Amino acid sequence: MAQAFTKAMARNIFYGGTGFFFLVLLALTFQTHQEWPELDNRQAINDVVTLGKQVWEDNNCVGCHSLLGEGAYFAPELGNVYLRFGESTDAIKGFIASRPVEGIPGRRSMPQFNLSEEELTAIAEFLKYVAGINTAGWPPNIKG
Amino acid sequence: MNPMEKNKWPPGDLVIWIFIMAELLVFGIFFAAYAFTRANHVELFNTYQATLDRNAALLNTLALITSSYFVVRAVAAIKSDDSKRCFQWLLAALFMGAVFLVIKSMEYQHHFSQGINLSTNTFYMFYLSLTFFHFLHVVLGMVILVAVALKARAGGYCAQEHTGVETGASYWHMVDLVWIVLFPLVYVMK
Amino acid sequence: MKYESQKVAKLYFIAAIGLFVGQILFGLIMGMQYVVGDFLFPEIPFNVARMVHTNLLIVWLLFGFMGASYYLVPEEAETELFAPWLAYLMFWIFLAAGAATVLAYLLVPYATLAEVTMNHLLPTMGREFLEQPTITKIGIVIVVLAFLFNIGMTILKGRKTVVSLVLLMGLTGLAVFFLFAFYNPTNLVMDKYYWWWVVHLWVEGVWELILGAILAFILIKTTGVDREVIEKWLYIIIAMTLITGIVGMGHHYYWIGTPEFWQWWGSIFSALEPIPFFMMTVYAFNMVNRRRRNHPNKVAVLWALGTAVMAFLGAGVWGFLHTLAPVNYYTHGTQITAAHGHMAFYGAYVMIVLGMISYSMPLMRGRELCNSVRSQSLEMWSFWLMTISMVFITLFLTAAGILQVYLQRFSDNPMDFMVVQDKIALFYWLREITGLIFLIGLIVYIASFFIGQDEPEATVEPLK
Repeated sequence: MAQAFTKAMARNIFYGGTGFFFLVLLALTFQTHQEWPELDNRQAINDVVTLGKQVWEDNNCVGCHSLLGEGAYFAPELGNVYLRFGESTDAIKGFIASRPVEGIPGRRSMPQFNLSEEELTAIAEFLKYVAGINTAGWPPNIKG
Repeated sequence: MNPMEKNKWPPGDLVIWIFIMAELLVFGIFFAAYAFTRANHVELFNTYQATLDRNAALLNTLALITSSYFVVRAVAAIKSDDSKRCFQWLLAALFMGAVFLVIKSMEYQHHFSQGINLSTNTFYMFYLSLTFFHFLHVVLGMVILVAVALKARAGGYCAQEHTGVETGASYWHMVDLVWIVLFPLVYVMK
Repeated sequence: MKYESQKVAKLYFIAAIGLFVGQILFGLIMGMQYVVGDFLFPEIPFNVARMVHTNLLIVWLLFGFMGASYYLVPEEAETELFAPWLAYLMFWIFLAAGAATVLAYLLVPYATLAEVTMNHLLPTMGREFLEQPTITKIGIVIVVLAFLFNIGMTILKGRKTVVSLVLLMGLTGLAVFFLFAFYNPTNLVMDKYYWWWVVHLWVEGVWELILGAILAFILIKTTGVDREVIEKWLYIIIAMTLITGIVGMGHHYYWIGTPEFWQWWGSIFSALEPIPFFMMTVYAFNMVNRRRRNHPNKVAVLWALGTAVMAFLGAGVWGFLHTLAPVNYYTHGTQITAAHGHMAFYGAYVMIVLGMISYSMPLMRGRELCNSVRSQSLEMWSFWLMTISMVFITLFLTAAGILQVYLQRFSDNPMDFMVVQDKIALFYWLREITGLIFLIGLIVYIASFFIGQDEPEATVEPLK
């Protein structure tokens, strides 16, 4: 019966197509893994950077900021903030540490996270590491 | 569109033609992207195009064209109610498909042994992507032909009802058609 | 309602709508904070409002998918649900865990929450949409597995239809891909790469299977078109979804430290991702045009058609607008993204859940086929209020985004992020006002469950 056959064909195309493209994805993922060492700045990852990522996550920085364009769009992109702040980890640390507890009246305000000196250093180093990732020339300019 | 009616044209199931159109669309976009990029990097493309093995590609073209011819014979056979011949022609087509895969694999082997990959340069990115994507379609086409061949051998088709053979044949011809565009575009044209 | 156990769905749907209200309230808070920057600061900083808004969205949609499954699977399988008690138990556990998590977001500083829930043992917190403590995530896995088990056993013991199998595949995919949420390497690029294996493969992958299956169910029930036809087209649609969407995931891999070939592969395949949505629109309208009956639940049909159109516009068209790498280079991480995200989620997932509720709730409340004319009328008002306001929210955010891109990314003298945000404030105000109208639509929606509930069912002329 032509009708049932047709639905079966569609089903086969679904399974075949899905399987096919999943294999393509795996192949491209494999290739991606091969190329990462030259792109992802992993050489810069050390214990301090690792702590820095943890600080980033524990304080949900991505809830206001974007990182490499991903996250929230309330506050500036931080993937290149290290460059924007004149390649100064001190500048980053100073900014975070100086956020007023009550915020800035009428302006979008960043919380005071009460980070320790160790955590401040860590998050700054983390952002420095991120700035060294090869993002194919993104963002278009220093503003993020 | 009334799927209750059996279509005489296009041959095979309407559904497969939707997919063939989608396939051609993807390849078409890829080809267009290639052409557009090439126009902006003529020298780069010419330089690296020269590193390709045109003879291997020519053999591959012949393999696929021959294979399509065998598939045409297979369809003709089943139209004359000859399941056995249909099966045999499909085997021959599959053999030529395998020849294509072997030659192409040898070409890849040569490239990879020289450390060439998707990120070597834009030409190789396109060359590898286009031919790899096509390669996978050849594999898929062969899987479909195997399914059809087995069913033919088991007597699953006859002169009155052989939609599956025509459907599989159509897909194979599409795969051949893509290569016939790819070969001159990537290997030959300067 | 043919099977007693289908009424489990009612509880899930009530929770879904309740959480939806919460989501919108927090959305309005965020919208306010965009223009009055320190609104509710420091008690509810923006990031907290945001995680409440997004997490509530995901959880209420999950409640909606589960309710939809508990309703349609017994009917499709022609047998009672395998274990209704398990469905009730999981409902309360999921609701309690969800509520507890959201309350924790609001009452406890996030870093403290991370410490208290021992995030350091297996750190999965602090990423967008995946803010839940690891223990909550584990809880979600357990709830979803129990749900899959229940639904799977029901299908196993009954009639296996394409609709229920596609639904099950989608839900299984949902469960499997959620496991990537537990992978959180220090290498940020790898973190981001696999994060999308949850988010993209969910909303541009397996969730579309869930959408397709529920839509097919509603169309079968309301149009009377032959199941064979509907199911064949369902397969074609989901085939196109995964064929385009799997490699289409590459459109998230342009600028995050992955190789540049993704700019080509991602652009080409994601450009084709609108195709299944286009097919879904044609399919839905076609089935309704070819219907063999006039179903008196007109508003359910409206939701079904509406979801196809809005999904196509929001996910398909708006997605296409910023999917090509050369365009995305400028629009990545801007209000364009937010514009697309809102309309896509609303069209593809919010509307199908509301459509399913629209179809099934009257039956679970004792009606033969549908609600009264007054109730349906009110519900139709809510459809238009919410849908039109969502269109305008999207348009305003798109305008904001275009201006933002021009001033901050494209210009020869680019301006600072914050300066640009000030300049596009007008659009944020307009968005917020429109958001209030959306809320009104939602309130009307809830009212439609009560107003007219004692009036007789609507009837229709039989089809000639």
